[in-house]
Amino acid sequence: MKTRNYFFWMVIAILVASAVARAQESAPAASATDTIPVTTHSTLAQHAYEMGMVQREDRLFVDEGLEFFRQAVKADPQFALGHAALGYFTADPKEAKQESALAVKFIDNASPDEQLLIHWMNSTKNGETVVAISAMNDLLAKYPNDKRLGNLAGEWLCAYQGANERGEAVLSRLLKNDPRYYPAMNNLAYCYALSGQPQLAPPLMEQYVAALPNEPNPQDSYGEIMRMLGDYPAALEHYKKALQINPHFNASQVGVASTYALMGDERKARAQYLVAIEGTRERSTQIGYRILYAMTYYRENKPRLAREEFEKVDSEAHVAGLTVQEAEIHRAMALFNPDAASAFKDLDEAREDLSATSKNNLLPGDRDNELALILQARVFIAVNAGKIEAAQRTLKLLENMAQTSRSTPVQEAYHSANGAVLFAHGDYASAIAELQEDPQNPLSLQLQAEAQTKAGQSADARKTLETLAAISDERMETAFAAPPARVALKRDATRTTQGGAN
Amino acid sequence: MRNRWCIVCVLLLSVASVAFGTDYAIVVNPGNPARALSLVELGKIFKAKTTIWPDGKGITLVLREPNSPGTKFILEKVLGGTFDEEKAVLSDPSRKTVVPVVFAESDEEVMRIVGGNAGAIGVIDVYNITGGVKVVKIDDKQPFDPGYILKGR
Repeated sequence: MKTRNYFFWMVIAILVASAVARAQESAPAASATDTIPVTTHSTLAQHAYEMGMVQREDRLFVDEGLEFFRQAVKADPQFALGHAALGYFTADPKEAKQESALAVKFIDNASPDEQLLIHWMNSTKNGETVVAISAMNDLLAKYPNDKRLGNLAGEWLCAYQGANERGEAVLSRLLKNDPRYYPAMNNLAYCYALSGQPQLAPPLMEQYVAALPNEPNPQDSYGEIMRMLGDYPAALEHYKKALQINPHFNASQVGVASTYALMGDERKARAQYLVAIEGTRERSTQIGYRILYAMTYYRENKPRLAREEFEKVDSEAHVAGLTVQEAEIHRAMALFNPDAASAFKDLDEAREDLSATSKNNLLPGDRDNELALILQARVFIAVNAGKIEAAQRTLKLLENMAQTSRSTPVQEAYHSANGAVLFAHGDYASAIAELQEDPQNPLSLQLQAEAQTKAGQSADARKTLETLAAISDERMETAFAAPPARVALKRDATRTTQGGAN
Repeated sequence: MRNRWCIVCVLLLSVASVAFGTDYAIVVNPGNPARALSLVELGKIFKAKTTIWPDGKGITLVLREPNSPGTKFILEKVLGGTFDEEKAVLSDPSRKTVVPVVFAESDEEVMRIVGGNAGAIGVIDVYNITGGVKVVKIDDKQPFDPGYILKGR
């Protein structure tokens, strides 16, 4: 599957590492104890791990970074931290589970601080958040000058924990110590964009692109930030600049495609997605892009073509053993299925995808999170179809999961589904409170606006609709719920204008 | 680009800053054998009705400043009343000898005091936890568990 030569990337990465080192010469010199040690008997594994970090964390060349981590554990199959890093960074749930287990198996080969890092990486994946936080804080205190560690922690806090204030503090401290540590600048901009301070993100992006004019990721990040802010022309401009710098920077290729998709130009989007699919070596990433490609048919209201395309991707995901993606495909088909009974069948297939055999291939957290989304979708579809008993039965399953799971997605899915059932019973006040527990889900926001309208809270309903309409991401839920919100707001604006004219 | 960010990124400019609360963790010295308390037992410690641990060590309560949002929240949750009703419990003069209350300026200071005092029990934002303290369960639940009582907003 891997056609590119490992040594080619090794040379590239060494050149980049040298360049980074030169760029940092005037910064305080890092002593040998400034960073967490990396223990392996293999020099090749050590180099490959470092190159993985350079590619994955510093340059954001995701596929190449993963390939280096794979090379590292191939060179030293008992390299605990190498396994942990691969398990942490991979998007393939099966690989994540296998590598996390290998990291634990060989953990005695690692130094005590590496062991702590492995505990952190693994705990973030298996829902042991208190353990993860404790390990992370101990490491941050012991290695205040380990920039990659701080950057990883800041990213995890903002992107996965929603602990934006804490993540911003970690990243800001890194930048205070080294204003030219650009990976932290990149993450801090994303953190601001997600934490209600979007005005702080573009200035950081300006610094980032100015500092690294020959790197594609700064332009790519700028494009993504502008897309998040809803400025699609600016997003396209930055993505295209990234591709001018490096035509193989596939993240920007898919960025262009998704921006066209969000703009409603689905034909252009599909053409660009095909280029992105062609340019991706990671099978799980490729399937992810294929899902986005298929979504374009739903976006332009061609459900038959969408289903055909989804069925093709499903077959490929099945062959590749990507069960979460298979489930996601069936969930998308259900969400856009106008017939509730048929949608339930789609969701049954989604659950089957996750059943028995997958238990051996998935981390329980990955499985539970997807299962919760499937059950949540089922409750919403049942409520919309007036099948209240079916909704309640499914809610009970979700409730059972929520009683034992620490996973935020599981908790959010339960509260949201409970809100949907309360809505169906006409208890709008309670429904609103429950739906607000799932504030990032367009489906929940859509129903929340409806509940607020029925409860006579029209100003709040409008605010919720505005929030929903402003979401500019690639998720199927956004494609389903955001366009109607935009139409509703436009209709209201027209009514207001006409009312004013009269 | 942040690959993982791309997957989860959502623009919720108006709600993101208020959508996430934090869980508060009850922490003790790592040498303290206590692993769990009920909310009622915790309330008794706050009210100085329980003054020693089962092993006989005297209890010291370590909190952030009385008017900090965290302390207000914890007092209301643990003692059940409003902050104005419950804050007097902390300033009761008799507490100088039994279950004294120490106010710290930061979570780091709370952990420093708890880490250095075998009988201390403190409250901190869960995101500040380190290996220098031990988290105890409250009503058999720890932070991030579903239904954890000290979940802030």
